[in-house]
Amino acid sequence: MKKSIGDNMIPKDWGLARGLELVKRAGYDGIELWLGDMPWFQMNTSDADVRALRRAVEGAGLVVSNVSTGLHWGSPLSARDPTVRARAARIVERQIETATLLGSDAVLVVAGLVTEEVPYNEVYQRSVEALTPLGDTAQRAGVLIGCENCNAEQRLLMSPREFWQFLNDVNHPAVGIHLDVGNIHDNGFAEQWIEIHGPRITRIHVKDVLRHRGRCGDQSVYTNLLLGDNNWPAIRAALTKVGYDGWLVAEMEARYRYAPDQQFFDTAQAMDRLISGRL
Amino acid sequence: MTVRLTRRQFLECSATVAVPLRWRLGRASPEVSGAREQLVLDLGPHCSLRESLSGYAAAFEGRALRTDVSSLAPCAVLIVPAAVEIPPAAVRAITACLETGGRVILESGAGFASERDLSRHRGVLRDVFRVHVASPIDLWPEANGSAIPYVDFTWPVAVKVRDFSSVVPLASRAGEIIARVNGLAVGLKRPFGRGSLIVLGSPLGPALWTGDAEARQWLRAALR
Repeated sequence: MKKSIGDNMIPKDWGLARGLELVKRAGYDGIELWLGDMPWFQMNTSDADVRALRRAVEGAGLVVSNVSTGLHWGSPLSARDPTVRARAARIVERQIETATLLGSDAVLVVAGLVTEEVPYNEVYQRSVEALTPLGDTAQRAGVLIGCENCNAEQRLLMSPREFWQFLNDVNHPAVGIHLDVGNIHDNGFAEQWIEIHGPRITRIHVKDVLRHRGRCGDQSVYTNLLLGDNNWPAIRAALTKVGYDGWLVAEMEARYRYAPDQQFFDTAQAMDRLISGRL
Repeated sequence: MTVRLTRRQFLECSATVAVPLRWRLGRASPEVSGAREQLVLDLGPHCSLRESLSGYAAAFEGRALRTDVSSLAPCAVLIVPAAVEIPPAAVRAITACLETGGRVILESGAGFASERDLSRHRGVLRDVFRVHVASPIDLWPEANGSAIPYVDFTWPVAVKVRDFSSVVPLASRAGEIIARVNGLAVGLKRPFGRGSLIVLGSPLGPALWTGDAEARQWLRAALR
């Protein structure tokens, strides 16, 4: 397995070059690029500038593990307004285009967003329908779409079997799951998601979660790897069981308040322990 | 790592979690598949919500869908989903249906229309059908966290159907209000020629599309 970390972890005032140097020095093999998050990678970044971005990444001794985005929280594929849906689809298409330019074969998509306004049945159906043509586009480009399990935040596809059924309904070989082992919170166990989705896993986000230890003891909160309640030995065993040998991508929601660069090193070392099985 | 599955693997796995999208396309009921023609008109680019069209078409298992207005003979029932601009040929088809005693469900798609299309939409409904269409209202402004998300239909059956975010209030001197949301009249029926015109200012088609049982109940009753 290989290690990656998101470019959105790079402190805002560091710049790309310094950030890439840090990622490499901390021991990562690659970097996850977040479309729309950082100034160097926006929807209006030209193809030429994307190619320059790839050169900068590779010049630092890294590769692009995958292209993610948070833009679908504001423009969901499941929106009622067709113009918003068209914008959401364009975001995925741009992810696919840039993944190709960046030499990656995977993108992360938040496939739908249930709200008070837009109910579950609509979101489910619209997401399924949206992913079919996008899957065709991805397949032509040799790219995989990984739908992330944002469980509680998305309020959609809360269980691994439901997610499995969702992928069955999409029924496209280029559409799988970008599994986040931290997002499952109190609703299950990451190792069981890995078992169920095995060959459909495109990438894995790693972070840890403190279950029911948050404010007033009623909230789960994200934390650093190995500090929370994820059963990492079981997760490692499940990865072996299903034969996952792809990218592990660190997505640390809670950032170090001081010495932010130290989090890159600590996270990389924890990932090394996970990969080696020394847990 | 890839997502490739063999067909055998796929079938084995999917068989274990077989929860089909049964509600995806509603089944036609005996009430909506009578001998007289019941048609759903696709206005093409003038239909602002394709999923609304899909919802109505699914209620008739697709048999009723028509795209060529010029070849339409007057029919018993004509449904026009998510209409924005209504071209003259479509207006003629609608009025022909009404004049010959038919029933028309004209669903407004104006809640998702541009200013220009909205203006034309309002003009046709006002000038031809004597129905006043107000400006679209967003039922879900950002600050509102306590909206009740249902349109209350009072005719021909009392049902609650999910709102669709943006509605256009309706009014007509000769009309009877048949649906309200947040106190706004969003459905009315009125006599027209020998027939009956039903105008919906809150799209029902998307609810049909998701298999909403009350939406289908309303449609069945409205077509009796």
